[in-house]
Amino acid sequence: MSRKNERLVNLTIALLATKRYLTKNEIFRNIEGYEGSAEAKERMFERDKDDLRKLGIQIEVGGLDPLFDDEAGYRIRPESYALSLRDLTPTQVTLLSLAAQAWQDAAFTDLSQQALRKLTSIGIDTDSSQLPVMAPRLVGADENLRIALDSLTSLTAIEFDYLSSQGVTQTRKLQVYGVQSRNSHWYLIGLDIDKSEIRNFRVDRIQGSVSTIGKSQSYSIPDTFEISELEPALDTPIAVLQVRPGAGYQLRRMASTIETADDWDLLELPIFDLEFITNLVLWHGEDVIVSSPPQLRAAVISALENLVSTHG
Amino acid sequence: MAKQESGLARTARLLDLVPYLTTHQGIAISELAKTFNTTVKEITDDLNTLWMCGLPGYTPLELIDLEFESGFVSIRNAETLAAPRALDRAEALSIYMGLDLLSAELGTANSSLVTEITNLQEQLKSQLISAPQVQISASLNSEFRALILRAIRRRGWLEITYHSAANDQVTKRQVAPYELSQSGSHEYLQGYCAVAKAIRNFRADRIVGVLEIPDQVWPSNETAPNEAAISFELRVHAATRQVREVLPEITADSASATIQGFSASWISRTILSLGGDVEAVAPNEIRTAVHVRAMAALENYH
Repeated sequence: MSRKNERLVNLTIALLATKRYLTKNEIFRNIEGYEGSAEAKERMFERDKDDLRKLGIQIEVGGLDPLFDDEAGYRIRPESYALSLRDLTPTQVTLLSLAAQAWQDAAFTDLSQQALRKLTSIGIDTDSSQLPVMAPRLVGADENLRIALDSLTSLTAIEFDYLSSQGVTQTRKLQVYGVQSRNSHWYLIGLDIDKSEIRNFRVDRIQGSVSTIGKSQSYSIPDTFEISELEPALDTPIAVLQVRPGAGYQLRRMASTIETADDWDLLELPIFDLEFITNLVLWHGEDVIVSSPPQLRAAVISALENLVSTHG
Repeated sequence: MAKQESGLARTARLLDLVPYLTTHQGIAISELAKTFNTTVKEITDDLNTLWMCGLPGYTPLELIDLEFESGFVSIRNAETLAAPRALDRAEALSIYMGLDLLSAELGTANSSLVTEITNLQEQLKSQLISAPQVQISASLNSEFRALILRAIRRRGWLEITYHSAANDQVTKRQVAPYELSQSGSHEYLQGYCAVAKAIRNFRADRIVGVLEIPDQVWPSNETAPNEAAISFELRVHAATRQVREVLPEITADSASATIQGFSASWISRTILSLGGDVEAVAPNEIRTAVHVRAMAALENYH
């Protein structure tokens, strides 16, 4: 194992140092570790190239001067090998380090530590004097999110079992376009392949493990796709609620406008998820009345009637 | 402890050791092992391997020159590998997303830092196949988190402004924090609450203010009196996803469930919020409380 590692490091050094393409013969003759028959060397080299590519190292293949030789040659461009983010200020290094350190869940520690070591290797000290006191953290990032993010970087479709709102488990196939974190939950947004529609899925509602399907780079993200459309838009329905003064703290934090009065305060808030708002209104019992829209009002009244009859 | 690693992970570490050592000349082997999350033996093996590497020719002129017999490592003649490797796509995306969180937390009050972050994100985009669409918001304000973590480390007291959903009230409490931990998809602060004189869990996303209280003696192993938990008997009419997420004791095929809780107000509000999919059976006061509140709420619409 150690001899193979040694050969891979030597190959990387030689391909990085060369100003021109090196032919296979030059590689076999000059780089230590290529031994055995011509065929054995050939197989070794093919595997080595694959391994380096798996590490994200780009090996460039180019022709030599066609007048002399038509054999392909190989090199690694230093500018593609090395970290491009190098001309950084101490404040920038601090921001990048904080961003990497925000991932502290087990599924992401190897990734964030590796990135941090690369950043530290630049040799610029951090300087947090320009920043307010902060300890950002991305919580609830599990193995399934990691798989989904890898699929997003390689554009590979994924498949998973998902718990629907009726409590039924269904298999969904998704081309991930983006990810979102809100209200302590992670969401995957993308094209639901079977439904041919943009849908979003809450990661903790995935049952079991996410698996990839098909090849990498099997789709592209439409230029028109914008995740920010999930913010309140002009056509996001608005709930108008009457809330007793002093009650409904969470509703007040979500409200876009609050009008205070003696008996009831009037709140307006965007409805992203009708089920969520219905449950939240019910949670507040007699302290909240829905004025509009009619379907929210009807959903709340019907749930209350249901509660009265089951508990009567 | 170091995990079982693949040969490729080792190759990556060998390549990454060179730039790290180049900017950290004289680092102790033990510290190096810690940084690379492995053992001193593994790192020593790595150094022994690197020592055999260099440019073709492989005479002392071409080989990487390493010194580490003293327990401290210095490196020379390694210019070819001296630049840190490029971030791979997963690393670039994870930092990109972390920056998104930072930018959301810094907000408009720090517009120059936010601009700086946008520039860094632009540079990272070039390493990704397609521009990622991400939108990150935090469950706990980062300044609060920093104060909480510092108080845990220094064993200091905090004054926490907290929204209790069960009572729908916002109160200030003095808390000696023990830890921040995650349970389900929520994060909780656990600590000794001076008001309750007991250990309490506070849901992080309901903490709306944090202040440090200087020079207050930490509670010395005060054993919190255990409050008696109440058993609530429930009948399940529909095990919807919402029901199962709010009450994880209930599974797809539960017809009934017994839930342990501390607050009557919490359980009756929970049952109200589930709109009749779950029925309170016992104790009878809870059943009555749900009925009375639902009647009162319905009355509002008449």
